[in-house]
Amino acid sequence: MRTISRKDFLKIGAALPLAMKSLSLRAEGRRKQPPKRIIFINSCLGFYEPYFFPKKQGDFSTSDYLKGMKTKGKMTVFQNLFHPGMDTSNHDSEKSFLTGTPSPESPNFVNDISLDQVLVRKMGGETRFPFLNFSIYDRGWGCSWNDRGSAIPPMHDEEKIFGMLFGEEDLKAKKQQLKNDQEILSCLHRDLAQLRKRGSEHGKLDSYQPVIAELELQLNHEKFWLNTSKPKVEKSLSDDQEFVFSTKIRNLFELAKLAFRTDSTRVMTISMDWIYGAIKVPGATGGWHTLSHHGGRKDVIAKLSHIEIDTLKHFNQFLFELDQIKEEGGTLLDHTTVMMGSNFGDSSNHTCNNLPMIVAGGGYRHQTHTVLEKQTPLCNLYLELLHKHNIDVGSFGSSEEDMGLLNS
Amino acid sequence: MMKKFLIICTLTLMVSAPLFAEANPSRSKLGEKAFQHFENYCFDCHDGETTKGDLDLANLLQKDDFDGSLIFEHLITSRMPPKNKKQPRAEEKRLMLSWLAQRQTESAPNSYRRISRHEFVHSVNDLLGVKLDLAGMIPEDRGTYNFDSDRRVQLTKEMLTSYFSVADEMLEFALPEKGFAQERILVTNRIKDSHKTYNIYTQKYKEGILFSWTRANNGNSYSFFYDNFDPPVRGWYDLTFDAMKLGSFKEDVSIQVFAGKYYYADDRPQQQRLLGVISLGNRDVKSHTVRAFLHPGENVSVHCYSKYTFRKKTGEQGAYIKQLKVRGPVLDEWLPSSYRNIFDGLPMNAPPRVARNTSVSLTKLKAIGGSISVSSFQKGMEKEKMQDGSNRTFWHTRFKPTLAKPPHYVILENSKGKEIEGLSYATWSGGNGNGQVKAYSIHLSDEGKSWGPPILEGKLEIGLANEQSILFPKPTTKRFIKFLVTDALSLDGKSLASIGKLDVMTTLPRPVSTIEVSVASSSPKDLKKVIKRFAQKAFSSNLSEEELAPYYGVSLNSLKEQGDFVMAAKVGLKAIVCSHRFLMAPGEHANRSYLMAADLSRILWLSIPDEELLSLSKTEKLSAQTIPAQIERMLKDEKSRRMIHSFCAQWLNLRSFNKVTPSLKLYPLYDDLMNHYLPLETEDYLNHLIQENLPVGHLIDSDFSFLNQRLAQHYGIEGVIGQQMRKVTFAPEVPRGGLLTMGSVLKVTADGFDTSPILRGAWVSKNIAGNTLSPPPESVKAIEPEHGKEAATIREQIEQHKNNKVCYACHKSIDPYGFALENFDATGQWRSKYRVKKPHNGTFQFRLQGYHILAGDVDAVGEIDKSKFEDVFGFKKILLSDHKKVAYNFAKKFFEYANGYQPNLKQRLHLHAMISENAQECRMKDLIVKVLGYSLRGE
Repeated sequence: MRTISRKDFLKIGAALPLAMKSLSLRAEGRRKQPPKRIIFINSCLGFYEPYFFPKKQGDFSTSDYLKGMKTKGKMTVFQNLFHPGMDTSNHDSEKSFLTGTPSPESPNFVNDISLDQVLVRKMGGETRFPFLNFSIYDRGWGCSWNDRGSAIPPMHDEEKIFGMLFGEEDLKAKKQQLKNDQEILSCLHRDLAQLRKRGSEHGKLDSYQPVIAELELQLNHEKFWLNTSKPKVEKSLSDDQEFVFSTKIRNLFELAKLAFRTDSTRVMTISMDWIYGAIKVPGATGGWHTLSHHGGRKDVIAKLSHIEIDTLKHFNQFLFELDQIKEEGGTLLDHTTVMMGSNFGDSSNHTCNNLPMIVAGGGYRHQTHTVLEKQTPLCNLYLELLHKHNIDVGSFGSSEEDMGLLNS
Repeated sequence: MMKKFLIICTLTLMVSAPLFAEANPSRSKLGEKAFQHFENYCFDCHDGETTKGDLDLANLLQKDDFDGSLIFEHLITSRMPPKNKKQPRAEEKRLMLSWLAQRQTESAPNSYRRISRHEFVHSVNDLLGVKLDLAGMIPEDRGTYNFDSDRRVQLTKEMLTSYFSVADEMLEFALPEKGFAQERILVTNRIKDSHKTYNIYTQKYKEGILFSWTRANNGNSYSFFYDNFDPPVRGWYDLTFDAMKLGSFKEDVSIQVFAGKYYYADDRPQQQRLLGVISLGNRDVKSHTVRAFLHPGENVSVHCYSKYTFRKKTGEQGAYIKQLKVRGPVLDEWLPSSYRNIFDGLPMNAPPRVARNTSVSLTKLKAIGGSISVSSFQKGMEKEKMQDGSNRTFWHTRFKPTLAKPPHYVILENSKGKEIEGLSYATWSGGNGNGQVKAYSIHLSDEGKSWGPPILEGKLEIGLANEQSILFPKPTTKRFIKFLVTDALSLDGKSLASIGKLDVMTTLPRPVSTIEVSVASSSPKDLKKVIKRFAQKAFSSNLSEEELAPYYGVSLNSLKEQGDFVMAAKVGLKAIVCSHRFLMAPGEHANRSYLMAADLSRILWLSIPDEELLSLSKTEKLSAQTIPAQIERMLKDEKSRRMIHSFCAQWLNLRSFNKVTPSLKLYPLYDDLMNHYLPLETEDYLNHLIQENLPVGHLIDSDFSFLNQRLAQHYGIEGVIGQQMRKVTFAPEVPRGGLLTMGSVLKVTADGFDTSPILRGAWVSKNIAGNTLSPPPESVKAIEPEHGKEAATIREQIEQHKNNKVCYACHKSIDPYGFALENFDATGQWRSKYRVKKPHNGTFQFRLQGYHILAGDVDAVGEIDKSKFEDVFGFKKILLSDHKKVAYNFAKKFFEYANGYQPNLKQRLHLHAMISENAQECRMKDLIVKVLGYSLRGE
């Protein structure tokens, strides 16, 4: 009854060699070159500009927020980057953070594939999880968008993420389930073929077909990885209930670190979505969004800055810990490109110019603080990151050129 | 300008094309006439010379391509031309609108949509005959849009993956592989011990416990956990409380029943789910049952509330709970409905399922057959006191007649060699703390004599009643574990030790006895019947052999390979609910009736059609004539409450209702009961308006709502006793009635601290009053006012909008809507003065009066379309004066809910035409029937 079609075979075939190679390398016990990893973080309400950017070019000690960074030598702050076409986008600009697609506020906006997903095509095959994307709460969308412009729902439950990465599985049951699911997918393929023949509406079939095709690939991928046990790590998640928001951010960074360290994935995004209502961080309680519209008032900015300081504290710690993990030829941080930024330049006025952007790690020769020409497309930097990860494309989003900002 | 237009007109006349059928309608006869009307009524203010609101209509209307929707909305809702200007006649206006609709180029929405996660879960529940709330396992699927069904959101692999796993869970729950758990009954009158500061709010009373209310010092509702009950499997449980009210006050005492995890009895916030509320008015003991879905690991707790018993230490006031009986997991019938539904007609066997009494083990050590010994003990404070489940009783080293010498220790004997992960320790609660352990070491031994070096040394906190975990470096199976006290608190310098609770940490095997239901068939023919019946219901269609083949095939394959009939059926059922026929709407239907049946049931029930709809469809009897009666019938069905809930969640954003916790300093009285009942008020009210087919004006104002004791207290209304929701009629001076003044809407439009007239105003203006607003222009300095000590400042800050023409164009339709509601604080309570937070000294301590001072007076004056209002009463009158706008807005929202996209301009013309000129004739259910009828026709 069950046969593997030629198409199926090709798909399985396409996914496996990379993973095989990875496994055999693991078997050797060491790899010559640690893999490259990359992570993108969007803090969707931005950072208060006067506290974020160094006041004196190139001097971190003149930035209220960044002066305490422990890995100063391995990071660059970029000034004057922006995405064109966000003039009236307001919060919708968040959708385009990693895609650069203009006018996200328009009613019929369709997004493009996000930068991380382009990288996944190249870097996703060799690990148990081709990519991971996180968000703070269940909002259903974050930084990552697939090649049809649909949001890839991020995971937000730390326990679940930890369980998925490192939890034990009932292998026998899982095997049977994968088998059943594969059969179910063939059944669904058969039905689709039948409907196509009968002239059922194509648009609908066309939107469903690639989804099951992708799931099929995923099942093959999972089946392959059943043969390798998950890495064991000690559970290091915090359950501090007093500062829930802060705990969440800390834990997501912790999970990112663990995932990279165990080479469970190589591409990640974290969306620090705007939490509705009040949040509590050490030093301040308030509506994050309300505070972000500070209108220049000192007392409000003081409160807001506590939230931003808290986020950056965890970010700082994340970089520091990545830098503590030694790998062949450097540290984990040296092999991980970390990009942190925001879709808002000034969230008080909803402007999307002069985005706060940091690139850290990745083994680049960092410049500390690079002030670019006003209104330099952020996609120029994205294009460069693609090139740095051996993806040979001419353009990405609104990119004009690879500006060579990150020299190795 | 005019010259150019005339040339275009001449051209049009030359070709003399028919009305409504042109590539460029601006060059049509219709266009010519409409343009004249615009010229007559609009150009005075909106031409090249006088561009009011930055709008040069004369220029815009001649463009080939422009977005006319804002102009359309202003015109159709009579916002433009302004009231004091010349108005177009009805016929003229229709022409102008039609022309705008004609020439609007709107990209058509997808002809299909995915079903939402809620629709998926409800449908599968109904198909399987179970009730599981697993929508939370599927990621939020509405993208950045308001409506769950939005057609712009496409199915992704990640969504499908979660459908696969939710389908697995639901099938496993309906047809469990290892059978159904035995039903058990546990009766208990004990609560777990809690922190000593809370123990004073409970007291032993008769055969049970008397609870008075407290909120913990940090303001959390402190809950008392019942015994050591832990559900053996997930499922439905009946929690029956035999209880009565004590106290001479009129109001009922409420028992809030929660499920949550008993971490420890500290006053840290604990994540809990409210399962139900019991309203105690009875003065003799009666049974009150809450049916609740519980998961293993969850405990049951109660929190008792009445405003008369706040932190009452003495006196017989509060809720007396004689006992709690937990029964479950309960099934509505045996054989369970899932088997009956799916395998109907096949012989099934199952032994009888009878509830049996059970008890819980007080400690894990006992459960694994272990025992305990101690270095010494004081009479009355024996070692057993560490193992009786209470930390108010305790073990103490001997101090009379002679003082026991150190070392003080406890040895736990793990006689069966189970794997022990660590120890769980609690101090004794309620006394002076003498002997509380400050430091310890752990030693292991095979025979209880020779002890190695400590495997662990550590410190413990004193003065806390919480359970403290002592995790071993690695689990041990050694027979003897010694807990050696190396330092303890001593008030008098003597060497002492005392312990409230000591237990091992280990994973207990869960010996859940189950009863299997067997289906006595293994024939492919029967399997086919099962799959076909299920598929036809799920797909809302008749299926040909050919269509059924893939689904039957995948089941049959499993039957052949594994030989298990039920397992094989499950594979087929899963394929069905994960197929595009099920997940994408419209699916594939044998005729139009089936299609309409599927649409109707998805919109009104969030589910699949029932037998009646299917049998009507089979003979193609669903039509414009029969549909209204079907809608009527479907609305009467309980399942229509899902639509009410879902529509409120989407339209009124009540899904975000609980995301904000109001500040305890400003709103100390706000509590979990409010969170539970406020959204219910709105749902009950909307349901009532629809069921009773009341005029749409009720959305804005009425003289009644649905309240209970707690909500009535919140609204300051006397004489509502008991927590069951009921219709309450308001006196004329009560500012409630209608959606705008409901606590739910008022709370969801505030951030828990302050109200922002701009944010709340924009929301109300757009969603309830039905104004169309354009987004703020770029790079405008936003004003986000904050209530300072001077209330006047807030108005001053916002009135800046008036000084800027560009801002004011929109803000005149925002700010007054917010100001009108300024008399309602962030929890929806009436205020005439603003509250301003005060700092507290030291650690925050909850207190009933909060921490605030009263600042300036609320000023709710405003003006809409040149009509002035003094307060919310006058505001509502202005909104009510235009019932058509309210109805039109509701129709648009319901259309979007039903179809997953906003109606285009042509469709809006149709919707608008459904609305009667007479306010009394414009009724809720009629409107819904019309909107649905129109949607189903698919024009």
